[in-house]
Amino acid sequence: MGLSSVTTVNEATKFCIFDLRRGQHEGQELDKILFFFPADLPFPTQLSVIGLSEGLITFTRIFSPEAACEVIEAERHSHVFYEAEPDIWMVMIVEKNKELEAIWRIDALRRVLKEVHSLFVMFHGSIRALLDKEPSGGLIRSHLYSFIMDYLSDFLVGKKLQLPNFRDSLKERGTVQMLTVGREAAIEVQSLVRVLESCAGNSPCYSLVLFRDLLVSTTLCPDDTINLFTYAVLRLTPRVLSSGASSWSYLRKGNTASHAATGSLLATSASVLDQFYASRETFPGGDGNYHIVRPLQHDKWTKGKDGFLVTDIWSAEVGSLVPTTPTIWLQQTEERMHLCAYQHRNLTLVLLIPVTSILNGEQGVSLVKQQLLENASLKMLRVEEKLSKGWGGENAYHVSGYRYLLVDGDRNVSRASPPGKVTTLTKESLVALSKLREEVDREKNRANWDGPGHEKELEVCIRAKNNAWVIAQVTRGKELYMVLEKANETLLYASDAIEKFSNRYCNGVFSLD
Amino acid sequence: MASDSNCSTSSNNSTDKNPYPNSLDQSLDAIEDQLASIAVTQPDGVVDETSSSLGPFKEVANGSLDTDIHQESTTGEIKEESRGNQLREFSGVEFSKEVLASSSSGFVWRRTNSELEVDVPSSPSSSGYAGERGSSNATSASGIEELGVDEICELGKDDSFNGVSDLQASSWVPGKRHLDEDDASISWRKRKKHFFILSNSGKPIYSRYGDEHKLAGFSATLQAIISFVENGGDHVKLVRAGKHQVVFLVKGPIYLVCISCTEEPYESLRGQLELIYGQMILILTKSVNRCFEKNPKFDMTPLLGGTDVVFSSLIHSFSWNPATFLHAYTCLPLAYATRQAAGAILQDVADSGVLFAILMCKHKVVSLVGVQKASLHPDDMLLLANFVMSSESFRTSESFSPICLPRYNPMAFLYAYINYLDVDTYLMLLTTSSDAFYHLKDCRIRIEMVLFKSNVLNEVQRSMLDGGMRVEDLPVDPSPRSGSLSPYLGQPRLASDLPDRFREAFDGIGGPAGLWHFIYRSIYLDQYVSSEVSSPINSSRQQKRLYRAYQSLYASMHDKGIGPHKTQFRRDENYVLLCWVTQDFELYAAFDPLADKALAIKTCNRVCQWVKDVENEIFLLGASPFLW
Repeated sequence: MGLSSVTTVNEATKFCIFDLRRGQHEGQELDKILFFFPADLPFPTQLSVIGLSEGLITFTRIFSPEAACEVIEAERHSHVFYEAEPDIWMVMIVEKNKELEAIWRIDALRRVLKEVHSLFVMFHGSIRALLDKEPSGGLIRSHLYSFIMDYLSDFLVGKKLQLPNFRDSLKERGTVQMLTVGREAAIEVQSLVRVLESCAGNSPCYSLVLFRDLLVSTTLCPDDTINLFTYAVLRLTPRVLSSGASSWSYLRKGNTASHAATGSLLATSASVLDQFYASRETFPGGDGNYHIVRPLQHDKWTKGKDGFLVTDIWSAEVGSLVPTTPTIWLQQTEERMHLCAYQHRNLTLVLLIPVTSILNGEQGVSLVKQQLLENASLKMLRVEEKLSKGWGGENAYHVSGYRYLLVDGDRNVSRASPPGKVTTLTKESLVALSKLREEVDREKNRANWDGPGHEKELEVCIRAKNNAWVIAQVTRGKELYMVLEKANETLLYASDAIEKFSNRYCNGVFSLD
Repeated sequence: MASDSNCSTSSNNSTDKNPYPNSLDQSLDAIEDQLASIAVTQPDGVVDETSSSLGPFKEVANGSLDTDIHQESTTGEIKEESRGNQLREFSGVEFSKEVLASSSSGFVWRRTNSELEVDVPSSPSSSGYAGERGSSNATSASGIEELGVDEICELGKDDSFNGVSDLQASSWVPGKRHLDEDDASISWRKRKKHFFILSNSGKPIYSRYGDEHKLAGFSATLQAIISFVENGGDHVKLVRAGKHQVVFLVKGPIYLVCISCTEEPYESLRGQLELIYGQMILILTKSVNRCFEKNPKFDMTPLLGGTDVVFSSLIHSFSWNPATFLHAYTCLPLAYATRQAAGAILQDVADSGVLFAILMCKHKVVSLVGVQKASLHPDDMLLLANFVMSSESFRTSESFSPICLPRYNPMAFLYAYINYLDVDTYLMLLTTSSDAFYHLKDCRIRIEMVLFKSNVLNEVQRSMLDGGMRVEDLPVDPSPRSGSLSPYLGQPRLASDLPDRFREAFDGIGGPAGLWHFIYRSIYLDQYVSSEVSSPINSSRQQKRLYRAYQSLYASMHDKGIGPHKTQFRRDENYVLLCWVTQDFELYAAFDPLADKALAIKTCNRVCQWVKDVENEIFLLGASPFLW
């Protein structure tokens, strides 16, 4: 089997989830491990990774009881920690290698951990809940295994995991990208949303409207919006569906040109994954008897004739041939919702209906769908048309001369230069920005620990060795990162450039002088 | 003893573990168990490792009793002699009787000082017993209270600041504090910055807070972490948790660890560990490694006996002395002719077999001369000056002491003849010859005479009183002045020297354009000049904060992978900081946070011009002997 060759390639990255409450007794340490990648790493090696992590969590609590170990920086590896749920830890270990572009920003990697956990909870509920449901751990292990492997497959380039590195410095995972909508279109959207929510009668529905890969409207709370938006962009939007194979993460769109032979890579990545699955039988507790829903499985969504998106991911649940409507958990209300997705051209519409409000199962859902078609299809046509007319193309948000990322931390919204434009920057500039962001991350974290009211206000302009201006500005919960190459050498020129950008695109938020 | 019972619980207690251990012993046990549990499954090598991490733990715990008694009951004199003996053992050093006598009496004095004057007034409520296992809840209140007191102490230490002297605290108390604490004390855990030196077998060598012997278990844990990562083929550099950073530095058989919740960047903390290691080498040379080769469980603490005060003074300088991160030294401002006169007589003696002749006033260099091609690294100067200034014995009589300059030759001892010419000014004559005492004594007499005749010592005293560059005095007109740093060099400084208009405008708000402070570092000279602190930053808390802001700025500018950057502008709620790095110099300037950017830039240019105008007086030019 090609298994060994697969894992040697992937040795550079390790990823594990463990529960500090399990395996407390000698000889039962394996019980702690809920997930380990690569799965075929010998158990002693797995245990040593977890032992070190656990040891440092305990050690750091001596001095910092309120926040245990967040990162271990060693000469050759970074270990990134995230306590996803109380006592349930995710640790990712990445190898550092300047030649192979393995220059990381810890917070960016931690956001990957956060993202996969939030998505998992959205579909399966919390890890702890699944553990409580079946204390032997088999259930949670099988779920985590298939879910995370499906998630990671989006990062596979060939046989290698390509996690976000310094080249992704002008991106912010865990935020939503919005479409700027004109006044008229906004009114149309609003009225569409009203109609959507009335489709299920009196039960409280939520909706999410996307145009291409951009959010147009949401009635969900910010956290749920991020999760659902992320999922939609990963698996539902027209770009993903039309590509036929959705292995390219939304983060890498626009970069496709630089990675030739996408198709062949996809083929390999699929087989790589199959090999991983083959090894599942050897996984502790993974007896393979569980029925596992794999919401992140590739190529499972298609657009039906009626415009609704269908998938058989959830079907086998009842063993019938009739597709079952997917369900998700809302983080805020802890409600279980049916997920209905409808697509018209570039417009994707996600409607969430409380499971409790639909008494007769699938029949009830199709009734709502019918209602939706009857009441809203015309409006959807109009909205799509309006938005398409106003759409500025792939480079709609390019600002000439600037390479930027704008993050609104309060609303979890970000906007950035199009990826195709960011690739024109030199490696030096991007590394410098990545390091600067690392500094800002630390200052922000520190301010967080100081408690509310200690929001960081910071402005940094660096003229780097390669003469690029690398800029970070944090004010009132908003962040601006910028690289200006081929710019004038005076500091005043750089601050002028920020000022202009701020006045034009950020309502002057970053204009301090 | 507490550490003894630690040990027994670590083996008995492993069946019942709490993921949120309250007492440190539990957590240490847990960590070791976690690491040990791996050993069970690890096929090779690791079993030995973890058991060895417990091994020294036990041994030291037993041994600590003896050492404690030894320390309490014997006089410093005997202790010091034993250190001398050991030194001789591995490096063939011979102390002259005179030195031994004087330095040992000095150490006696220090010990008493640190025990009576320092430890007693610090909170009586936090005895080592209070924080003992199982009773941590009871002590938490007192622990926090004590911390508050200490904090205030530390922050208030410069409050006697008179606006002229440097950042160094006059009321800072040397020597080790909180000796009664150990890792079970809540107060100990809450200290903002810990430094540890330990051996690769986990034996404690130095701890900033608490008694090393009581920290044996903790030391073993640090060792276990380091070697665990090393067994995995890697080297741990840093662990971050909330506001805390744990920084590791491995130097052969010596491990250094800093645990800090200050805002300092990793690079700075690592640099501080490097300096602490250098300080240790300065006292012992690197040949101490051989002791570990012979006996991995070698106990180094007796070798460093009585040097707590040297380390604590170095650690204190990490919060006020820019030389610790700039890797440059600073000079006392003096008229060019005065410094030349001093240099000439030093050069004279240097020609007679002295390797380096250094005349310093506190941490500032008056003059410095070395024989051909022998150049003194600024870090070595910092460590040497710290060693001399922190050891009380050097003040009381002339001394001849073996020292090692880690950047010059880490393997060998040099011999330093040290003599204070007045209360702040001291002469250091370095030689390779162990029997040069009387020769160097003669040299010193000659130097002292010349310095006295040429009035250099008086000038030095006056310069100390007058202070250095003040941001308020930044020349307004941009035209280059070929002049001197005056009005206050060579003549007493009068308030009326300043135009009234000028005084009114800037009194209490620093210099023009909101300039509060600057540091200028000349790259070729390895020297820096730092302005006197102005009124907006004259509390010690503000100075420390500014110092740390500079430190972060330095680290950010000098990133190893991509640096150095050329310019940096940084504004936060405390300052506007500007940094400018060229091939010749680096300028760091701090402004009012509301300062205007354009004006600040202009002001920086004026500062650079000003420094160039007075460089004859603020820098030691032509330090290379070829230019004399």
